[in-house]
Amino acid sequence: MHPLHDLTIKKMHDGLLAKEYSSLEMTQAFFAWIEKRDPEVGAYLSLHKDLAVRQAEAADIAIAQDTPAGMLAGIPLAIKDNILIEGERASAASKILENYTAAYDATVIAKLKKAGSVFLGRTNMDEFAMGSSTESSAFQLTRNPHDPTRVPGGSSGGSAAAVAAHMAVAALGSDTGGSIRQPAAFCGAVGLKPTYGSVSRFGLMAMASSLDQIGPFTKTVEDAAIMYQALRGHDPMDATSSPRANDDIADALLHPTLERVRSLRVGIPDEYFIEGLAPEIAQKVEEAIASIKSLGVEIKRISLPHTKYALSCYYIVMPAEVSSNLERFEGIRYGSREHAASLSDLYRKDREAGFGTESKRRILLGTFVLSSGYYDAYYAKAQKVRRLIAQDFANAYKEVDVILTPVTPTPAFKIGEKMSDPLSMYLSDIFTIPVNLAGLPAISIPVKGGLSVDGKTLPVGFQLIGKHWGEADILGLGQYYEKL
Amino acid sequence: MLTKKELEHLADLARIELKEGEEAKLQHDLDEVLEYFKELQVLDTETVAPMTGGTDVRNALRDDASVLPEQVGKGPAAFPEKHDGYLKVPPIL
Repeated sequence: MHPLHDLTIKKMHDGLLAKEYSSLEMTQAFFAWIEKRDPEVGAYLSLHKDLAVRQAEAADIAIAQDTPAGMLAGIPLAIKDNILIEGERASAASKILENYTAAYDATVIAKLKKAGSVFLGRTNMDEFAMGSSTESSAFQLTRNPHDPTRVPGGSSGGSAAAVAAHMAVAALGSDTGGSIRQPAAFCGAVGLKPTYGSVSRFGLMAMASSLDQIGPFTKTVEDAAIMYQALRGHDPMDATSSPRANDDIADALLHPTLERVRSLRVGIPDEYFIEGLAPEIAQKVEEAIASIKSLGVEIKRISLPHTKYALSCYYIVMPAEVSSNLERFEGIRYGSREHAASLSDLYRKDREAGFGTESKRRILLGTFVLSSGYYDAYYAKAQKVRRLIAQDFANAYKEVDVILTPVTPTPAFKIGEKMSDPLSMYLSDIFTIPVNLAGLPAISIPVKGGLSVDGKTLPVGFQLIGKHWGEADILGLGQYYEKL
Repeated sequence: MLTKKELEHLADLARIELKEGEEAKLQHDLDEVLEYFKELQVLDTETVAPMTGGTDVRNALRDDASVLPEQVGKGPAAFPEKHDGYLKVPPIL
């Protein structure tokens, strides 16, 4: 049996085709390892054992019959708890949806099913994807696999930890302000947030609809390219999905050439190397820059002057959309019901009992910035600032093709450290938020060799931000960094 | 400063009941965040067009043909209370 810690999508695919092992054998090996490892990590909320076995058997039959098997056939994946799989629980780690069973498949799930993947289970997250540490889950803590006293990041902390602790070959997450890239950096996985409109959100529980994107966690950049190729595509069920998502770029994604990668100009924005950036992180990112440079890539200093305002802008736009999107959770159509005398009483009681503190905070903040008398000063202002931030990137991309930055200002912080101080928690997303505001693709890649902190080795990530639809650039550059 | 009365009004608009101990903490947190937002006021945005979404796709319309998505009719399975396939709710009046 191939050791799980060494398994990538690519390697497992080759092993399955060479009949070194079956998908069922590997799926069962994953369940055995999860049983051993997950009591400490807490990545999974529940396992889809029956479904996974059926899927693995189907993949094995297809492979045995020499049916052409795609890269993801028989590959065991973990799925964030806000993405719907028909007939399985999906709670977004919220009490209000504790007993909700998904009635249909998300488009990404339907695509992965068609590709023959295996779904091991649903992963823990901050409630409704709101948080940066997975501590806002209504159900359990997830611990960083590299140091159990630290958070895995969030909101997709369970998916990041599952991949980093070898409890899945790859995973799905969602990224609204950094919820894939930040936990990937904290856990030492690769995390890709695709261009807005390139991957369907149909069947993803909406948090902030102008920002949300689904994307993969993987062990390698090469695997991220494989996952992105499988997930992308126009979907009539998601009105924000773009027809451009059907452009055939498979070759550029999966087989980047060094010649092409060398022609990329990489920009380093001054505004990301600021006072709040821990010196040890700056040092590691400098190492990544030096490695990228050694590929023969041109490196340029650039400026994104409105970066400083992205956090405020985001924390107005996002809660406004949250307050609207979370209106649907009122105890009428989903979940459990509190006993109530009247309808309005039911709404209040159910939402009080069902939502955690962070959800309430963001719903109230969003209600405030949209309310009469404050709308212009907050929401309308933030929408204009969002334009300025997007324009910064557009201007920078006249001179460069890819932008390289840190992912997080610090390594993974301690459990409990930021829970009582929301503003300090929000600041941990400062380098990932601008990407969502502008709708760009970005990837978090672990810097080679971690950081030694308190006798533990903690991962550090660097971020490559591409132009709209520039996934092939960042994935290509990342794949060559990986080969160094 | 966000007053207690304003907070209660917001909670009412959002249909959320707040617990006694929760109010002071929420008031403090929201105040702190709103104070931070003030940095945006220094930016001159007089001539800037607002960015109202995440995409430049406009008018995503489907063909004018009748389509029955496979998800149709699957919603009621999730209703917490139902009667003959209808959603049951408490009295409105």
